[in-house]
Amino acid sequence: MAGKIKQMIDEIVSQRSKGNTTIARLTKAKLILKGIDPDNYDDNAEDDDDIIGKLRAIADENNIQL
Amino acid sequence: MSVKNTYSSKSDAKEAVLEISDGFKDFENKMILYFASSNYDLEGMGKEMKKAFPDSEIFGCSTAGEITSGEVLKNSVVAMSFDSGTVEDVKIEVVKKIKEENNVKKAFEGFESYYGGKMSEMDVEKYVGIILADGLTCAEEKLMDTIGDLTNVTFIGGSAGDDLKFKQTWVFADGKVYSDVAVLVLVKCKKGFDVIKSQSFKVTDKKLVATKVDEDNRKVLEFNDRPAVEAYAEVVGAKSDKAADHFMNHPVGLMVGGEPYVRSPQLIEDKSIKFYCKVKQGAELRLLASTDIVKDTKKSVKSKIDELGGVTAILNFHCILRTLELEKLKQTDAYGAIFKDIPTIGFSTYGEEYVGHINQTSTMLVFK
Repeated sequence: MAGKIKQMIDEIVSQRSKGNTTIARLTKAKLILKGIDPDNYDDNAEDDDDIIGKLRAIADENNIQL
Repeated sequence: MSVKNTYSSKSDAKEAVLEISDGFKDFENKMILYFASSNYDLEGMGKEMKKAFPDSEIFGCSTAGEITSGEVLKNSVVAMSFDSGTVEDVKIEVVKKIKEENNVKKAFEGFESYYGGKMSEMDVEKYVGIILADGLTCAEEKLMDTIGDLTNVTFIGGSAGDDLKFKQTWVFADGKVYSDVAVLVLVKCKKGFDVIKSQSFKVTDKKLVATKVDEDNRKVLEFNDRPAVEAYAEVVGAKSDKAADHFMNHPVGLMVGGEPYVRSPQLIEDKSIKFYCKVKQGAELRLLASTDIVKDTKKSVKSKIDELGGVTAILNFHCILRTLELEKLKQTDAYGAIFKDIPTIGFSTYGEEYVGHINQTSTMLVFK
């Protein structure tokens, strides 16, 4: 399976930023500092369980429903 | 006038505070921020500050050097006072035991109760956070990570210094002096704010991937599946035993939107490299090459002033490594001169805070 990581990242960024481009940029920066670079994942990126787990944890910390 | 800044180089804490309070005479003094050399009697200074400004919200930290408009100082105290024309409201929270615990949430509850709104929903254009942390706890990443999870409000600041003694640093709040603490301050700005993050490095195409790390101790054991020092020495073009000579001018950068978030190597331990901030497992870093600090900072500041059509004040969180490099190049006065006509205070930090914990920058909070 592929594409789940990008989907999760997009959802986190979208829910946090609510369309504010500055907040979207800063949310991406925060993800990079947490060790996940959004630019490394596109629709074809393989579903890596470790990364998916990390993103779930980040979503929980951010109070985001995925 | 909505801010005033002043300084004192008197070595006696009481006399220094007298000089500061003289500078702020007949001013509203709603919020006072001060950065003081660790060589002062800081406890005594805290008490004197509280006595001099009983109705003001006062906070600050110890330094490894101070900055005020036009000057870079040592063994001094610099202070800035804001009236309600710039700072509409302010709330200070002290986060204790930062080394072992994480009490950011409790501090945020304090902000929420004071301002009557959720931190996750605060107006990010109006509110800005200032963070001053004990600079010897290695806790800044944890604090900034939690802050970033809980709010979109920008928190910006620096890690306290102790004049390069690396023994104990202090943060100040409401006349008290603490270690193992971070002060979080949520400011409601009257006219808004902006941020300058200036680093003086060219990004090279040489990559180092952190393949084995000891995150808690800010150590990289391996880059590119090889002992860290060997891999670093190779990309920098040096022998392993000379690698540390290149640390200052060739740190590494985590690329964020085309901009490096600098990670500065501190020292070599065995074949590992200890950094001034955490490097995540798997992080892809680019080797950086130093450029002209004075020229780059001048450009960043001018560009922001032009963009905003002028600024009210600047708080400058300036990395101690930059201070040392400026001293080495005899450019300290030229750096200070950049801020000559701008109400500015700042200090030489043990790390800067913006989005995360960063190194080798001048990270500035600009009040519009």
